[in-house]
Amino acid sequence: MISFLVRRLLSAIPVLIVVSLVSFIIIAIVPGDVTAELAGSDSTEAQRAEIRERLGLDRPMIEQAVRWYGRLLSGDLGQSYLLNMSVTDAVLERLPVTLSLAGIALVLAIVLGVLLGIVSAIRHDSWLDQGSMSLALFGLSVPDFWFALILISVFSVGLGWFPTGGYVPLSESLFGWARSMTLPALALAITQMGVVARMTRSSMLEVMSQDYIRTARAKGMRSHTIIFKHALRNALVPIVTVVGVMTGVLLGGAVVIEQVFSLPGVGRLIIGAIQRRDYPIIQGGLLITAATFVFVNILVDLAYGWLDPRVRDDR
Amino acid sequence: MAKTSSLKRAGYLCTGLVAAALMGLAAAPVQAQTAGGDLVVVQSSNPPSLDAMVTSSQASRNITMNIYEPLFGFSEDIRPIPILAESVEISEDGTSYRIPLREGVKFHNGDEMTAEDVKASLERYQEHGATQSMLEPIASIEVTGPLEVTLTLKEPTPTFLEAFASPRAPAVIIPEEEAAKAPNEISFIGTGPYKFVEYVPDSHVKLERFDEYSADTDHEGIDGFGGKKTAYLDTVTFRVIPEPGAAVAALETGEVHLLEQLPVPTARRLASNDDIEIYENMPWAFMTFIFNMKEAPSDNPKFREAVQIALNNEEIMAIATEGLFNLYHGWMYEGSTYDAGDVGKEYYNVADTERAKALLEEAGYNNEEFSILTDSTIPEHGKAGVVIGEQLKAIGINAVINQVDWPTALKIRLQDEGWNGWTLMMGIEPYLGPAALISALTGEAAHFRDSDEELDALYQELISTDSEEGRKAVFEKIQKRMYEFFGIIKVGETGLMQASRANVEGFKPFRFPRVYDVWLEQN
Amino acid sequence: MTVEEAAETPEALEREVARARRRGIVRFFGRLAAHRSFRVGFALFFLIVLTAVFADLIAPYEPNKNNYRSLLAPPSMKHWFGTDGYGRDILSRVIHGTRISLGIGISVVVMTGVFGVFLGMLAGYVRWLDNLLMRVMDGLMAFPGVLLAIALAAALGPSALNAVIALTVTFTPRTARIVRSSVLVIRALPYVEAAVAVGAGHGRIIFRYILVNALSPLIVQLTFVFAVSILAEAILSFLGVGPPPPAPSLGNIIAEGRTYLQEAGWIAFFPGIAIAAAVLGLNLMGDGLRDVTDPQLRQGREAG
Repeated sequence: MISFLVRRLLSAIPVLIVVSLVSFIIIAIVPGDVTAELAGSDSTEAQRAEIRERLGLDRPMIEQAVRWYGRLLSGDLGQSYLLNMSVTDAVLERLPVTLSLAGIALVLAIVLGVLLGIVSAIRHDSWLDQGSMSLALFGLSVPDFWFALILISVFSVGLGWFPTGGYVPLSESLFGWARSMTLPALALAITQMGVVARMTRSSMLEVMSQDYIRTARAKGMRSHTIIFKHALRNALVPIVTVVGVMTGVLLGGAVVIEQVFSLPGVGRLIIGAIQRRDYPIIQGGLLITAATFVFVNILVDLAYGWLDPRVRDDR
Repeated sequence: MAKTSSLKRAGYLCTGLVAAALMGLAAAPVQAQTAGGDLVVVQSSNPPSLDAMVTSSQASRNITMNIYEPLFGFSEDIRPIPILAESVEISEDGTSYRIPLREGVKFHNGDEMTAEDVKASLERYQEHGATQSMLEPIASIEVTGPLEVTLTLKEPTPTFLEAFASPRAPAVIIPEEEAAKAPNEISFIGTGPYKFVEYVPDSHVKLERFDEYSADTDHEGIDGFGGKKTAYLDTVTFRVIPEPGAAVAALETGEVHLLEQLPVPTARRLASNDDIEIYENMPWAFMTFIFNMKEAPSDNPKFREAVQIALNNEEIMAIATEGLFNLYHGWMYEGSTYDAGDVGKEYYNVADTERAKALLEEAGYNNEEFSILTDSTIPEHGKAGVVIGEQLKAIGINAVINQVDWPTALKIRLQDEGWNGWTLMMGIEPYLGPAALISALTGEAAHFRDSDEELDALYQELISTDSEEGRKAVFEKIQKRMYEFFGIIKVGETGLMQASRANVEGFKPFRFPRVYDVWLEQN
Repeated sequence: MTVEEAAETPEALEREVARARRRGIVRFFGRLAAHRSFRVGFALFFLIVLTAVFADLIAPYEPNKNNYRSLLAPPSMKHWFGTDGYGRDILSRVIHGTRISLGIGISVVVMTGVFGVFLGMLAGYVRWLDNLLMRVMDGLMAFPGVLLAIALAAALGPSALNAVIALTVTFTPRTARIVRSSVLVIRALPYVEAAVAVGAGHGRIIFRYILVNALSPLIVQLTFVFAVSILAEAILSFLGVGPPPPAPSLGNIIAEGRTYLQEAGWIAFFPGIAIAAAVLGLNLMGDGLRDVTDPQLRQGREAG
C-alpha cells in the first residue's frame, strides 16, 4: 500500500513539470503585458519600461523560467502583480470556493444520478425508465452555463429563492453559504448527473442479470433487498472509478459557473489573471489547480485499490 | 510689495452655493439623516489597484475617492477647489504656488497630516503617478512651514491648477512612510471619510466609517470632489459582479443597494418599480473612433473623410448605448464653457453612402483591409465597433473586426501597425476640459500614432493662453482643425444609467459614487 | 480461430481477414440501422447538418444585419425568435450559428483524429517513445476539464482558428491514449503476431491491421469529441475567447443575451436549445455506435 502511494506520488512529478511548462508557453503567447493595466491607459513608454524592469519582465523568457523554478523549489510561487498578495495566498484563498463548488456538485451528481439510474433499472423499459434516461440525456447535452442562466432567471429572478450570485463564506453563515452554492452546484452537476445515471442503469442491469441475483430471486428474497444489498453495491463500483475523471470535469466546469454566478473561485482568478496579464497568478493558479486534480486522482486510486486489491497488484 | 493673486476658500464657497442651488439642494426640505448600516455598491470589475495615484482606472477611482483626498479637486461645476489645502497663493510671475494646508486633518492611522506627508506624496506621484504629465511643470516641492508647502514651477502654466486637481489618477495625500513604498505596496491609508478594511479580489472591497474624519467646515455640504463630507454609514461594501444580469437581480431582491452602472433597457424596465430609483448620469462620456494615421488605408486623410461621411452616428449610438445618447458634433459638451458652436457640424452624422464612395475612389482605395480594434471588456466599445464595421462594409470598405480584451487593445493601439481604427469612450477627458482632451491627441504618444503638427501648435497655444476668452477662441480653431484632418471621429455622447434601492437617500450621481452624505432610510 | 488456421501465406491471411471484415461491416451497419437511439440521434443530427449547410437559404434575414429601430423585439411573426440588442434576427443568427458550431466541431474532430492517431500509434508502436509521449499527455490531461482550452484560447486571442487549436490540444491526449491502448491490444492479437511472424512490413501492419482495428473505438471517441467540442466552443464564445463578434456563434449569442435575461430572455434561450439539440443528436449516435462496436457492452445489454 505504502509503496503504491509512493509510486503514485512520484509519478505526479513529471505530470506537474509538463503542467508548468505549458503554463510558461501560455504566458509566452499572450500578447501584451501587465504594464498597461498597472500604469493606466495613457502611460508613457518610459513608465511602462520602468514597471517591466521592476517586475523582471524585460529579462529573456528562459531566465524568467529559471528564476521561477528556483523559487518554486523553495515553495515560493511568487507575488501577484496586481493583487498585492502572494500567489499562494491568492490561490489558497479561493481554492475552498472552487473545491466546495465542485464537491457539492459531485455529491449532487452522484446522488441524483444514482437515484435516476436505480429507478430506470428497476422499472426497465417502462415510461419511468424512458423519462429518467431522457432526463439524463438532457443533462448530458445542455451547456451547463446556459442551464445556469435558466436557473438564475427562474429561481433567483423569478421566484427569488436564491441569490443570483456572490459567495457567502461558510464561516459567516451556514445557511447563507448553502443558499449561495445551491444553484451553481446544481448547474454544474447536471452533466455529470447524466453520466452517473446512465452508468448506474447499465451496471445495475448487468448485475441484476447475473446468476447470484437470479439465484437470490429464485430463493424468494424480497426484491428491494436484492436491489439495495447486492445489485446496487456492485453497481456502484464502476462509479468510483470515474470519480477522478468527474472531479476533473467539475473543476474545469467550475470556471464558467464561477463566472456566471460571480463566485470568487480559482477559475475566475486564473481567467482574470490571463485577461490582465498577471503572469505569476496564471502560472501558480494553473499549477495548483492541476496539482489538486492529480492529488484527487491519487486519492481515488487509493480508494479503488482499497476496494479492489487486484488493481493495486496490477500496477 | 509683490502683488499676488490669491484663491481663497471664501471665493469658492460662492460657486459651491451656486452649484448647490442649481442642483436644487438648497431648496430641498431638510431630511433626517440616519446613521448606520452597510451600503452595498456594485461595480462590474475589480479595481486594478487601491493605490489611488498609480491607476487611472474608473473601477479604482469609484472606491479610492471615498478613501483618499487630494490637495485640490473639482467642484460640481468643474473648477478647482481646495480640499486638503486651505487655499493657494500664486505669485505674480505665475511660478510659485504657496499652499497652506488644512489643520487637524487625520490619517486613518491616527496621525495628523503634515507638510512632510504632502511633499512625500507629491514626490511619489512624480515617480509613480499615472498622469505624471500633470506634475510635469513642477521644478521643486518645498516644505515652507509645518502646514505649508510651496510648489515652484519651471515656467508659468495657467492651466496648472486645473491639471493638478484632475481626478483621473488623483494626486492624493498619504502618510510619508507609505509614500516611500513602491506602487501597490502601500497600506491603504488616506484622510477620507471612509477607511479601508479589506479587499477580496473578485468579491468585494469593504470600507468602514472613519470616526475621526475632519470635515471641511468651509462648505455647507459636498461639492464635486470636495466640500463638507459626512459619513453616515457604518460600512460600505463595493461588490464586484461582472454579470449585469446578476447585478440587477441582486438589486431587485434587495441584496445590494446601488448599481454603479446598469444596462439601459433594464433601467427602463425598472423605472416602474417603486423599490428602485433610477439615475440618468448624462452626459457621461464621448464615444470616439480613432484612426491610426500611420497605417494604410487610414493614413490617407481622404479615406478618413470617407469614413466620417459614411457613418450613421445615430445607428452606432443607438445600438452601442442602448438608447441613452446624445448626438452632438462638438468636441466639448453642448452649452459648456468651451462649446465651439456649429464648427464642423456639416460633417457630422451625414451617412451619405454615395458621397462616401466617391471620396473612397478619390482616395484611391483599393480594398485594403481596414482593421477595427475594439474590446469586449467595455460593451459599448464592442458594439460600436461591430456597427461601424457593418456600415463601412456597406460602402465597400474591407472592414475586419478585431475584438480583444482591454489590456490587449491598449497594447495593440500603441503599435504603428496592426490596426486602423479604434473605438474609445473618453469619459474623464472631456469632463476635465479642452486641455485634458487635446493633450491625449498631441505629442509623442498621440492616440492616432502620427501627430498633426497644426493640432500640436494649437495645443501649445491653448495651454499657454492666460484668459478663458483667449482659450475659447483657440478651442474653436482646434475644433475646426479636427474636422479638417479627421484623425478622430466623435461618434456621439453617452450617458450612464445608475440605480439604487429606494431607501438609499442623499445619493447624487457624479464622476464616482460618493458614498459619504448617503444614508439608508430605516423602514 | 479460422483466421489462424488459414494463415499459411500472407496472401491467404489477408484474403481471409478482408472477407471477415466485409461480413463485419455489413453486420455493423445492419445493427446500427436497427439501433433505436442511433436512429433518433442520426435524424436529429442530420436535420442540424442540413440547417447548417443550407443556412443561407433558410435564414429569413442576414445574420449580421443591424436594425436599430427594432432592438430587443420579442418573438413575433416577423422575427420568430425575436431580435437582439443590435436588432438582428435571432432565428437567422441561430441558423448561421449551427454552421459555425458544426464547422468548429468537425475541424476539432479531424485534427484530434489525425493527431490522436499519430501520437497514439507512435506511442503504442515505438516503445521507447511511449513513456515520454504518455507523460506529456498526462500533463495535458492534468488540467481539469476545459480549463486548458480556455487558457489557451485566451492566450492565443479570440478567433475560430484559435478555438480549434485550443480544443484540439485539449482533446487530443485522451484520443491518443485510446488509440495507444487499442494498438497495444491489437499488436498482441494472434493474427497480427502471425502477420509479423510471416514477415509483413511495418507500414502494412500499421495500416492493414492496427489502424483498421483501432477504428471503431476511435470513431466512438470522436463522436463524443464532436459533441464535447460543440459544448466547449460555446463556452469559449461565452467567455469571449471564441470567434469574435459579429460572428453569430451560438455561445456569442448566449453571451449577448445574458445581459437581458429579464428583458429579452429569448436571446439566450434559443441558441441554448440549438446547442442541446446538436449535442443530443451526437450523444445518441455515439451511444449507438458504442453499443454496436463494443461486443462486451452488447452482451451486457442483450443479457439484460
